[in-house]
This record gives sequence, structure tokens and C-alpha cells, in this order.
Amino acid sequence: MPKFTINGQEVEARDGQTIIQAAEEIGVDIPHYCYHPDLPIDGNCRMCLVDVERMPKLTPACATVVTEGMVVRTNNERVKEAVRGVLEFLLVNHPVDCPVCDQAGECRLQDYYMVYGLHTSEIPLGMKVRKRKVIDLGPMVVLDQERCVLCSRCVRFCDHVTGTGELQFFGRGDHVAIGTFEDRPLENAYSGNVVDICPVGALTSRDFRFKCRVWFLHGADSVCGGCSTGCSVRIDHRDGTIFRLLPRRNPEVNKSWLCDEGRMSFHALSTGSRIVQPKVKGPAGVPTAARWDEVIASINSRLKETAAAHGSGSIIGIGSASATNEALFLFKRYLSDRLGATRFEFRLDGEDRRVAEREDDLLRRTDKHPNSMGAMKLGLMDAELGGIEGAISAARAGRIKAGVIIYLKPLVARPGDDAAEARVAELVRSLEYSVVLAAHEADWQSAASVLLPIAAWSEEEGTYTNYEGRIQFAGRALAPDGGSRPAWQVFALLLGADGTEPGWTSPEQVFESMAESIPAYRNIARSQTRLPGVVIAV
Amino acid sequence: MKKTPKVVNVSERAERESSFAKELLGPLVGMSVTFARMMNNVSGKIDATIRYPEERRAYSQRYRGAHILTARDDGTPRCVACYMCATACPADCIYIEPAEHPDPLIEKYPARFDIDMLRCVFCGFCVDACPEEAIIMSRETEICAFTREETLWDIKRLMSRAELPEFGLGYRPNAELVDSRVAVELKEIPKHTMAGRITLKEDAHMIRHVTFEPDKD
Repeated sequence: MPKFTINGQEVEARDGQTIIQAAEEIGVDIPHYCYHPDLPIDGNCRMCLVDVERMPKLTPACATVVTEGMVVRTNNERVKEAVRGVLEFLLVNHPVDCPVCDQAGECRLQDYYMVYGLHTSEIPLGMKVRKRKVIDLGPMVVLDQERCVLCSRCVRFCDHVTGTGELQFFGRGDHVAIGTFEDRPLENAYSGNVVDICPVGALTSRDFRFKCRVWFLHGADSVCGGCSTGCSVRIDHRDGTIFRLLPRRNPEVNKSWLCDEGRMSFHALSTGSRIVQPKVKGPAGVPTAARWDEVIASINSRLKETAAAHGSGSIIGIGSASATNEALFLFKRYLSDRLGATRFEFRLDGEDRRVAEREDDLLRRTDKHPNSMGAMKLGLMDAELGGIEGAISAARAGRIKAGVIIYLKPLVARPGDDAAEARVAELVRSLEYSVVLAAHEADWQSAASVLLPIAAWSEEEGTYTNYEGRIQFAGRALAPDGGSRPAWQVFALLLGADGTEPGWTSPEQVFESMAESIPAYRNIARSQTRLPGVVIAV
Repeated sequence: MKKTPKVVNVSERAERESSFAKELLGPLVGMSVTFARMMNNVSGKIDATIRYPEERRAYSQRYRGAHILTARDDGTPRCVACYMCATACPADCIYIEPAEHPDPLIEKYPARFDIDMLRCVFCGFCVDACPEEAIIMSRETEICAFTREETLWDIKRLMSRAELPEFGLGYRPNAELVDSRVAVELKEIPKHTMAGRITLKEDAHMIRHVTFEPDKD
């Protein structure tokens, strides 16, 4: 544990830590382009030069390991002059086309120019070395060679993280440019990450291209709903529309990366139409719109009648592995405490088996639900029943009369999805009385006795438990669409329908109740579920 | 310490300085201005009023009237849909929808550019914010229409302004910095004789070089 001094402040660094890492931990910002915490050190941009006592020249902070007694200065005139010079060189051939550049507003060139540069450009636009613009690099990336500062982050990402090695430098001197061989598209499953790690506007997103200027966006911290890995993401939205998903750095789960499927998963939320109000199947079998309070009261009384008439075993609860822990907890509590139901299931397609199964070596897993482990921990599996197939046959045989079913379509599509949805539809058709909670409309929902609109992934605050049992907090980006409500709130209303329980008014309260009553979640505070999340025993 | 106010007695001084000539002739001197003015009006030398709308007042060169979108040499809009104007706009009246331009050197152009003239407060911030001199202002004041839809000016309306020769260009602080051009030929505005003259002490040149002192720390 070497002790060193930075800007007069004595700090203890960890063994093997570089100056830039140690400085970041105590909040000293050292400008950099090529350094990235999850990529190998390259030291080519020369922006992170710092003054180290008894070293003859300025030294790059990203490539210098802290040693005992080192005295570092990051803000004296010598360093500032050097950084200003480096920045001026980086901007020599920069086209300054910020008005059309999607990076504007989150561009390191802009940021550092305002802090360190503020010089007048000596090179008029006509004298600059022009390179190629708007190069199509596949479905995720657009390349502009002029804006590049040649930091090689993207090259190192493709070489060391995905191991595909598509990107490389071409040319010499002023004419060096980033590119792929013969402009072949960047088609690995993680190509969107090069856009995030590009500190300037050289690599920009194909999907987000010209959609919105970044300063209009509001960010909400969330967890990707695309698979059971549960990568930390930020949902960037404006006026009720999601514009992009960006990875948040979580060293324990996804580092700084996010797969392309997960990145694009928010488009699934806006495909198809949403259910906007509760619907009840009338006497003629036609679903008609109804008010929430009436629907809640009628569901509660009808389910109680069923439980009284046919025994508590006649009610089944089908949870969803895409619902939050809070929703599933109240779902189970309502059915088991109020109605005495003992039959619960959430598996539509072997989620428990596939929850930790890897799809590739980096992040993706074959189970495309964010909360399969959470559903398992809450005990939503019934070994006797024989999965949803068993539930269908039991319903056909008349052993199960009523069911409460949560169905949320997976955000990342896989060929088995339609079959899984068909099984849910079949169960709904076989039941005498069915309450379906869903976000998006589907044809089979007309068979449901009651259809309740619930919030989609981006509209509900809660926690998800990933494949390794890591509970992670996901915030709410948008307000629930139309008349839909978060699923936890629907069950809180059902629990309060008798007027016997004070009820839960926020997801925090639900989490607290869950931490009290579920053994797996015991003694876990909600604040612990924030980055990087808390792991429970699997 | 409290200061005692100095008292000046004007009545004493007025009494001391008053004279017969001042008492009697003073008002006559004043009246002569009034009479001269009246004679000018009666003889038609100057107009106290103008015959609007046949005649209009000549507004200042910096008048902030209805907006103009300037064009490139080939007649396409100079605007690159950077949203600077929409960001600066305090009335939130600019709506832009960008699209991919076939020329990679231009890259981006507005497929839609609407200004809600009823919401606009004519502050000119959009003109100040524009990095391309793509939006400037005219001296046009008459934005009347029979329906609200007509007051939502789209890109076509903002670019081809048939009524522009009549009114002339207005606020355009960066005219000399870039080679933007207006899609219409301007004709010389006829000068009207008016009661009183508009004199401009400052002109557009004085506000051109506004520099920002970044925070030093």
C-alpha cells in the first residue's frame, strides 16, 4: 500500500494502482482519451501527463504505477501547458462540425477544450487534412474518420474484449485513420460498445443517429431486462420516449459493456399497442373497459368465492420472470395469505434450468428474463404440478378453476417465445376464471376474464435478482402508459381490498416487507441494491 | 453618521432671477416651436400619422420580425438541424426533425423546421445561437392568418418569403461572417417622411464580437 502525495494531498493507493486510478478515487480529475478502466493501458493520447517530482519529464498518469513517496502534481503551469499543447495538436485536423455531430454535448474534446484549451485555432478549415465521413460500419455504428483522435480505445475493445479484431489503424502520419478492412461491417454482438467508449464523435450510434441532442435527455438508472445477466444500464428518455440505453459501469456484472441485443431491447417496448385500461369479459364474452376500483373489488370477491367453493388448491398463480421482486412478492402474498393458494409457477420454458447458462463468453445468457432467480427465490416453482403444461392439464381436468397470470413479453426475442406465449394463452383459455396482467396487447387476451394493464419494464421501479443472486435496483424512467399501474401496486390494491391491511404505497415499503419475511432477502437494506448490487446465496 | 440633507430654496433664486421679459416672452418662445410644428403639419411637410397599411414605418436595421431561413447557393437550406435555436428558444416554439443529407460533408439537414409564430416572443435568441447563420430575422411584422394552422410556419414558408422585399431584412448580427444568402431579391424600401426621425446610436457591428470569459479557477 504505497503512500503518495497528489496536489499536496497525502493518499494511500493500492498496490499496482496507476496514478490516474488513484487520483480518480479521491476525485482528482486527470484529462484522458485513451485510458479506459476496462481496457488495457495504451498511453498514446498524452492527455494525462502529470508532473512527478524527481522525474525529468512529464509522465503519463495512466501508465505510471504509484510508488512509495511519489509526489505528483496535476494542476501546475507545466502540466497545463503540456495538456493545452496536446489538445491543440489533437484539434489540428478536427473538422469542428459539432452542429451535426451526435457526440456534441458529451464530447471529451468539447469538455477539455473548455477547461484546458481555449486557444484560437491556427489552422483554417481549408488547410485541414480531410478524411472520409459517414462510413457505414454495420447495424450499430457510423464512422467519421475526421473526428477521430486516434486513442485506439475501439481497436483495443475489438482486440481484447470481443476478440474479433475488426478495427485497425490505416495510413501514416496526418493521414492515419481508424477503419475496418474494406469497410466491412462491425458485426460482433457487442459492437455498440465502441460508440460508448469513443471519447469523441468518430464512432456514433446508427440507431440513435440524429434522433435527439443529448442535452435534452434525462437519464434513469436501471437494470437491463434483456437477459438474466442484469447489466446496469441508464435509460435516456425525453417527453415519454426512450431514445437509448447506455451501460453503466458495474465492475461486478458488466464492467462497462452491454450487448447489442440488450442495447436495442427498448424498441420492443414500443412495438405493438399497449393495454390502456382494465377490461372485464362481459356476459356475452366481449371484453369491456372497466374502472380500476370496481375491477379490484370484483377480482377479490370472485377469487374468494372460488377458494371457498373449490378449496384453495383450485387457484393457481403464474408469475413472470420479467416482473420485479416487489411485484412477485406481493403477488405471492396476496394469493397465499388471502386465498390460501399453494400452486405457483413462473417457468414457461425451463427458465430455472437456463438461468445461469451462458450464450457467449462475455455477458449474454440464454434465459431472456431479468428476474428468473428472483422468482425462484420467492418460491414460485411447483415441483408437483409439472410446469405450465401440468397446469394446463389440471385446468382442463377441472382441478384448477381460477388463476392470476402475469405475462410480460421478453424484451429480447428468441424462437421459443411464441411457444411460451402460446402455453400461457392455452392456460388462460382452459381456466374458468382468469386474471391476466400484461403490458402489451395480444389476441389471446380476449379469453381472459379480467385483463389488467401493468407497467412495462421502463415504467416500474423495483429490484431484479440476476443469475448469480445479485439483487439490483432499477429505477423508473417513464410514467406508466395510459391507465396502467405497476404490478406491485395492483397486488397492493388487492391486498387492501378487504380493508384489513394498511397497504403498501411505495416499492421501498414492499422491499422492506420482503426483507422481513423472505429468508433469502433477510437483512438486506434497499440501499444495498444500488450499484454494484448485493449478492444472496443461490 | 447620518448626513443632514442640503436644502436648496428654489423660490428665492427664481425670484432673484425673474424679469419682465422672461415672464412674458418665455411662453412665446415655447409656443413658436408648437406653431412651427403645426405649420409643418398643416402644409403637409411632415406627416403626424402614416397611412397604414399603404405606408409603413421604417423600422431599424436590427428589428426582430418574422424569421427567415437562409439558403445555400443551390437553394437548399443552410440549416443543419443542430437544435441550437430550439435549445436557446425561451418560448419553445421551434420544432426540428433532422434527416440524413446525401452529401457527407453536410451530413444533416432539417426534414422539418416549424416555428409556431403565435408562441414566438421574437427575442432573437435563435439568431444569436445559430452557428451557420441559417436563421435570421426580417422586419416583417404582419403575421396574421385566419386559422392557427397558418401561423405554424414550415420550412418552405420560412425560406421562400414572397413578402420579404416589402419589409427587408432585420436582426442579422453575423451577416459578414458567413456567405449565407436569402432566397429572394430585396428591393429598396421607399422612405417615408415621418414625424420624428429614428436614429440608431449603435449598430449591429458593435455587438458582433461578444466574448465569453470562462471561469478561471
